[in-house]
Amino acid sequence: MQRSGDHEVEPRRFTYARAVLPARITSVPLFRLAAVWESFRVALASLRANKLRTALTLIGIIVGVTAVIAVVTIINGLNATVAQTFSSQGSTVFTISKNPAIITSREDFVKFNRRKDVTHEDADAIARLCSSCWRVGIAANAIETVKFANQTAENVRIRGVTPITMFDIDGVSVDAGRIWTESEGDSGREICVIGPDMLKNLFQDAPPDQAIGKEIRIDGRPYVVLGVLEPLGSIFGFSRDNVVYIPYSTYQKLYGARRSLVVFIQVPAAEQLEIAEDQVRTIMRNRRGHALDDPNDEGFSLETQDVFLNLYGQATSNIYYVTFGVAFISLIVGGIVVMNIMLVSVTERTKEIGIRKAIGARRKDILSQFLIEAVVVTALGGAIGVGTGFGLAYVISALIGFPLLVSTLSAVLGVGVSSLVGIISGLWPAWRAARLDPIEALRAE
Amino acid sequence: MSEATLTLSPPENAITPQTTPLDGHDPSMLISMRNIWKTYQMGTESVHALHGVSFDIPRGEYIAIIGPSGSGKSTLMNLIGCLDTPTQGEYWLNGKNVSEMDDDELARIRNQEVGFVFQTFNLLARATALHNVELPLIYGGVGSAQRHEMAKKALGAVDLADRMTHKPNELSGGQRQRVAIARALVNHPSILLADEPTGALDSHTSMEIMDLFERLHSEGNTIIVVTHEHDIAARAHRVVSIRDGLIEKDERIR
Repeated sequence: MQRSGDHEVEPRRFTYARAVLPARITSVPLFRLAAVWESFRVALASLRANKLRTALTLIGIIVGVTAVIAVVTIINGLNATVAQTFSSQGSTVFTISKNPAIITSREDFVKFNRRKDVTHEDADAIARLCSSCWRVGIAANAIETVKFANQTAENVRIRGVTPITMFDIDGVSVDAGRIWTESEGDSGREICVIGPDMLKNLFQDAPPDQAIGKEIRIDGRPYVVLGVLEPLGSIFGFSRDNVVYIPYSTYQKLYGARRSLVVFIQVPAAEQLEIAEDQVRTIMRNRRGHALDDPNDEGFSLETQDVFLNLYGQATSNIYYVTFGVAFISLIVGGIVVMNIMLVSVTERTKEIGIRKAIGARRKDILSQFLIEAVVVTALGGAIGVGTGFGLAYVISALIGFPLLVSTLSAVLGVGVSSLVGIISGLWPAWRAARLDPIEALRAE
Repeated sequence: MSEATLTLSPPENAITPQTTPLDGHDPSMLISMRNIWKTYQMGTESVHALHGVSFDIPRGEYIAIIGPSGSGKSTLMNLIGCLDTPTQGEYWLNGKNVSEMDDDELARIRNQEVGFVFQTFNLLARATALHNVELPLIYGGVGSAQRHEMAKKALGAVDLADRMTHKPNELSGGQRQRVAIARALVNHPSILLADEPTGALDSHTSMEIMDLFERLHSEGNTIIVVTHEHDIAARAHRVVSIRDGLIEKDERIR
């Protein structure tokens, strides 16, 4: 505004330039844009001119952003896996067992071992008395070596189940063949339904139907394969398909009735879970009485999958905290490095600042030049960190086997936060540059 | 061009002798300085670099300011170039009172009214000749297409149309100084202010640069050369001699 006013009263000017060149351009509102673009050019040129220094400056920022991006991406992938895994059984299932799934102390271990075993009779009582329960089943696990012809599969989970609705409670279904009938299951015959890993390990990846009717050996005893299950995939690198289901009656013949088992209870809908839990708890308390030494112990463990989810949530939130701590520290260190380098850069370029000021750069032009330079460095570091973070997450997801979920938000945040670090650490050096006296700055060498 | 001929013979009464006290600034003058003092604080001691300097420069003049080192010549140049403001006194440049402006206003005046030519050229080493010449236009807010156009013409005017993409270290001293002159002229300033413009050049190149100044003057530009060399000063039409912070002599030699 002021400029155009000046132009009105400007006296006639008879210069060579006026005769040859277009009239002098007065300031336009876009003024800033040209200077900002100049700042970008200068910033990029100066980063290019000092490649090694730029690289060293970037390291702190890169490490911080890489850590956050990798961990966030990995945990997002794990979350997706966990959510999918547990929803296949669903939040309608809970269990009664002697020991809880997670024992955190030696004292607890001793305490739980003094409890009575959970038995078939307990399961029958629950099935009979619990009105809100939909399905009640029994499962017990053993780890065995399984053989077919000259092929061997180690560490296979042998799962003895009854009744056959236990397949539904487990959320598995057959891909080929069939599951055993109720009467077959009660007869104690050597029959089984195998997980898809058995195809791979025993049948050289043959199609599922080729395994039907074959005889595999579990702990030396022959079992006829009735069906093959659909794959469930793996979680945290552990396959959920490395399993052989056998009838519980057969399992009992192998391992005896004295092993503790787990009662699985399913309700028709999640809303009934609480009522069913209360009923089952009452039934079990009546059956156990308070016969134990410890009056505070009920003598059994009732668990939903929340236990796993809670433990998992706790573990991942700890990982989050540690990672954000690491990232925070490396961003602070990175910021200090950037500030230091910017101060060096201002000192080195005092002459340049003098020249720019002499030909008309204002304080904010110089300020924005160095701020932009600091932000370009840190944003570049952030972008590289986002790239390496996703790369790292990709490698780990490929190794462990979970989906790679690339979150745009974390990428934007990674670059955004590092740019913010650039602004904060560039502010003081840029301010120093902007305040330089042009005469003294021009004298610098 | 018909307008430009008007300035070829500046008015005879342009020079006011130092001995006559001047009251108020003269609005007809491009530069009007009145009783300018510049005092530096050196510890507890005050050092007066200029003690009450007054003079006028009309539009279109070619003037040399000459004086030994320590005479206050550089201080005067910094004031004329709006790099600094006087401790006391009034400085009017192209109808504007510069003596009371703040940093950013001075920057704007330098951008629009002053074209600097330095002894050591002061080009940006990493930028091409063209980009160096564009720089004042960038800070003046000129759009890129127009900027290129103007910078190219300015380089053409100093016969460097074929060196536009060269960086300073790919140019000779004389060429660098011509890039600097193109940069000084590109924004059509009121004054071209040269500080020892031939100080870093050999005598042959020095003469070329001085010939260029002469041509630019004949084309209507107001040129102020600050120097300690008498033969450089002798190329001007008027010579102001500074000694001990005062104007010692102010004479028209052409």
